[in-house]
Amino acid sequence: MWAYEKKLQYPVKIKNPNPKLAQIIISQYGGPDGELGASLRYLSQRFSMPYPELKGLLTDIGTEELGHLEMIGAIVYQLTRNLTVEQIKQSGFDTYFVDHTTGIYPVAASGAPFNATCFASKGDVITDLHENLAAEQKARTTYDNILRMTDDPDVADAIKFLREREVVHYQRFGEGLRLATDKLNAKNFYACNPSFDKNCGK
Amino acid sequence: MSKKDKLLRSLSAAQFALWELHLYLDTHPADLTAVSMHSQYELKFNNLKTEYEELYGPLTPAMGEGVEWLKNPWPWDTEGYDD
Repeated sequence: MWAYEKKLQYPVKIKNPNPKLAQIIISQYGGPDGELGASLRYLSQRFSMPYPELKGLLTDIGTEELGHLEMIGAIVYQLTRNLTVEQIKQSGFDTYFVDHTTGIYPVAASGAPFNATCFASKGDVITDLHENLAAEQKARTTYDNILRMTDDPDVADAIKFLREREVVHYQRFGEGLRLATDKLNAKNFYACNPSFDKNCGK
Repeated sequence: MSKKDKLLRSLSAAQFALWELHLYLDTHPADLTAVSMHSQYELKFNNLKTEYEELYGPLTPAMGEGVEWLKNPWPWDTEGYDD
């Protein structure tokens, strides 16, 4: 189960609304490398993880990603406060506004709604950990791209925090992969799948 | 920065250190130095959490019910905006 804590992992306090920027940043809410996909990826994969270290790692990182989802929601919410219809039309936010007003809905910046095909849960420890290493780097690239298009220091501050977490998670998943391969036959990591085959690596 | 924000920042910083050590310990469970650092930050975090909750209300539902739990601002609100 989960317990809610009434605070953000890192503060989000944005003074100036900016609907154009909100429309870009929402990609990290419901886009292909966003925080919704990240949390569901790890929290789903963990059920078939064979080793306690990996069950722990996926539970913990998946949980932290839910906190990041909340931060992105807060950023988008604060960037779309007190808008006039004129601002909405001029910024291009009108295409989102017509369907969702200023409610938070998981879509990519392109407008494509969240789709579970953006992540994998393969039931194979080596495969899933590689998926996760790639996922952390894809999210890091997306945050880099968001920072290229952000000149608001309030927004950049929170985005830089989130970017850094991708780097840390990448590191931890790398260690997780090392732990897994150390337990398998070093001559051939792919001889069996410890998530499925009994006695694999024993 | 308001007194509340300052305290929340110190609390979040301690909690962040605690969390970083926790993730590190997932892949290095036998690192006793990290285990002891974790205990130190845990103490610091718990003290700050108690101080914050006494002044500004519950952070978890277990620490307060009804009006106290429902009070604005919620984490995504900006101060004074959504009262």
